[in-house]
Amino acid sequence: MSSVSSMSQLTREIRESARKLLRDGQVQVVIGFERGSLPLRSRPCFVRREEDIDRLVWDGCCETNLARYLPKRKEKAAIVAKGCDSRAIVELIKENQVHRDQIVIIGVPCNGMIDGLLIEAKMGRGSIVEDEGSAEKLILKRTNSEEILDRTDFLHEHCKACTHPDPVLYDVLVGQPSAEAAKDTFSDVEAFGARDEEGRWAYLVHEVGKCIRCYACRNACPLCYCPECFVDASQPRWVGKSTELSDTMVFHLIRAFHLAGRCVACGACERACPMGVDIRKLNRKLQKDVKDLFNHEAGMSLEEASPLADFRVDDPEQPMVDP
Amino acid sequence: MMESDTWEPKIVAFLCNWCSYAGADLAGTSRIQYPSNIRVVRVPCSGRIDPLFILASLQKGADGVLVSGCHPGDCHYLTGNYSARRKFAVLKSLLQYIGLEEGRVQFSWVSAAEGTRFAKVVEQVTARIKALGKSKKLVKEIPGG
Amino acid sequence: MTSMTSMTSMTSAIRANTRLLRKKRMESFLEALLQDGLVFAPVRKGEMLLFERIESARDAVLGQRNTKNSPKSALFPQTERLFAYRHHKEGLAIEAASTGDKERVLFGVHPCDARAHLLLDRVFGGSTEDPYYAEKRRKAIAISIACTHPDPSCFCLALGGGPCSQEGSDLLLLDLGDSYLVEAPSERGRLLLEDKSFEDADEESFDKAELIKRTAESSMQPAAPLWEKATDEGMEKPLDALFDDPLWNDLTESCLSCGICTYLCPTCHCFDISDEAGAVTGERIRTWDSCQFPLFTRQASGHNPRPSAKERFRQRIMHKFSHLPKNVNMTGCVGCGRCVTECPVNLDFREVLLALSKNEAT
Repeated sequence: MSSVSSMSQLTREIRESARKLLRDGQVQVVIGFERGSLPLRSRPCFVRREEDIDRLVWDGCCETNLARYLPKRKEKAAIVAKGCDSRAIVELIKENQVHRDQIVIIGVPCNGMIDGLLIEAKMGRGSIVEDEGSAEKLILKRTNSEEILDRTDFLHEHCKACTHPDPVLYDVLVGQPSAEAAKDTFSDVEAFGARDEEGRWAYLVHEVGKCIRCYACRNACPLCYCPECFVDASQPRWVGKSTELSDTMVFHLIRAFHLAGRCVACGACERACPMGVDIRKLNRKLQKDVKDLFNHEAGMSLEEASPLADFRVDDPEQPMVDP
Repeated sequence: MMESDTWEPKIVAFLCNWCSYAGADLAGTSRIQYPSNIRVVRVPCSGRIDPLFILASLQKGADGVLVSGCHPGDCHYLTGNYSARRKFAVLKSLLQYIGLEEGRVQFSWVSAAEGTRFAKVVEQVTARIKALGKSKKLVKEIPGG
Repeated sequence: MTSMTSMTSMTSAIRANTRLLRKKRMESFLEALLQDGLVFAPVRKGEMLLFERIESARDAVLGQRNTKNSPKSALFPQTERLFAYRHHKEGLAIEAASTGDKERVLFGVHPCDARAHLLLDRVFGGSTEDPYYAEKRRKAIAISIACTHPDPSCFCLALGGGPCSQEGSDLLLLDLGDSYLVEAPSERGRLLLEDKSFEDADEESFDKAELIKRTAESSMQPAAPLWEKATDEGMEKPLDALFDDPLWNDLTESCLSCGICTYLCPTCHCFDISDEAGAVTGERIRTWDSCQFPLFTRQASGHNPRPSAKERFRQRIMHKFSHLPKNVNMTGCVGCGRCVTECPVNLDFREVLLALSKNEAT
């Protein structure tokens, strides 16, 4: 899964493409990443002037799914997209939230994003003052020392299991394509499904109990673009505003359901969550079901309709009451 | 009525107007006896059912939910039940995955001519849910201040 | 500000309200507090530190970095029942919620969060007192622990606070190694100090404490002012003048409009009221709300005066650094740093303020 290019090489190539696109007037804005205000943070940035191009970077902290900034955008935009981001873009194009010819996709093969919490657990919080998210090695600097770590030990779980590191749709591809990624076996879903019923429920209660209803998961998701989310509806009011457990469960269950067949499992929801809720537990199950039931994988085809917006006359019958 | 062994489950039944509701009607006019645990909500089509209806029912204390529509191919709106079939499959799988007891949420196809079948469906569903006991998992409560 | 007659009498006044608590006595001290009332303290949940109610002294985790959530939930819970009601044949019966008469101890609070309560006091107090907050506040005691190793993301100094600030605390504990030096800035704290868990502090402890305090303060990132041309008059006027500056568009473009900054903030206090109604019974509850949610200002007509993240983010800054100073004479920020570290897109309001201040018309 490692990319041969170094991070600084990718940064250079991204800036080059961006500069050309802005200069030629092909786009009005480049949506990419810049260094954040804290160590091990990079963040979305919107470049509209050539003199700002050098703000753009690529490193192991570029974890936001930038496709989230595409719906309702009026101007022509270039967007830096890793594998998962590009699949979200495919879904957005299918759902008419962005026109294909309105965007220029600068595709970046991704070798995984760093989980800041894992670094914190190892190095202690607040000790890192500088980092260099390079291709294989992670160089972390404290005030008086430096440590070089193997980045693969500190990737997000979902990045470690990524099956599509390279963009599936792009106009410009920087860097080198990744090595072939492993196929998804959904072993995580099967393992959880094999647990006993009460154990599964208890796990969900525990996870959902952490939720503070900040909606960062929903707002970070590129596919959650509804002008009015069901959770905010008041006529009728489906879900209350408190952190009452069943309400919060319904929020997560229905949001996952609304994403069935559309979620590209990018992990932006989990990364945005401040409380460490295992949000993807539900999305992963639905991903597997959609594959098993309808042979569909989100974000891979501009032609294939989304499974819950489609049907077949000969869809398999499910267990029903059938006396 | 206070003892737990006389507890009767409350089951919300979403029935599509053209087939299942008519089938239930036929059971009634034919004087076919079936358990009185179901509370019927008539909808135009099984495809109208939003998973939110099902979860809201459980939140409000329903011990079980039945959704019934036309047989595939017979939908009054031609394809509504095909969409429903996909949604139910996904929802049922998800609810089972999170540890909701199997059998609390059930689906069936009952046509307008199938009064007897409807009665049998209700019997089966009621028996199953009665065996599961009172639903507790998704019931809504408000914590005090 | 009290005037001092002499340095010695001031010092001895401070020392009179300062004692020592050996760490090995901490558990029994906490257990005693648990006997008398509710205790809230930092606890470890998985990898996270959260401020929650504890039932056993051993659950409290002290002297760590600050908790993910703020202690405000002990005084202003995220979900709070205001009253319950029931329809009878005779009419409607309403039962007001009560917090009971138990004391509530907020233990292991960081000085920034203790200061935050002073802001909440002003907002929820005054001529229109919030009875739900007030009832809890009257019975609440804040036992804070000074920050000997502030995080790089902390900036309490820039907002008039400090890692060893006493403001808002009834007791302030300073970690000396095997004991805490305990200062009692309030009357309630002074009463607590009479407890047998505490002993007199010796000269060495005082000297050690001074050194630790100085080290803690100087170790903080240089207390860069949040506004480039910092004036004694604060940021209100220049911020007001920059309300329509187009720079806001660029600075806020990445905002997700989630509620993380507001919900984790120790001074944010907006709420919504809703009814959870059954057929016969029901409850009126209040829940935290966020000015960052689009729904916050959406009107019944559908019009929204704050239609995008830019208006909402700007509003939050204006509220904290202009409106609150004008209305209650206190800034709505204590520099805890949570909004900076927890924002999923690292939208750092300090950078926003500095960028705006550079844009300030001369």
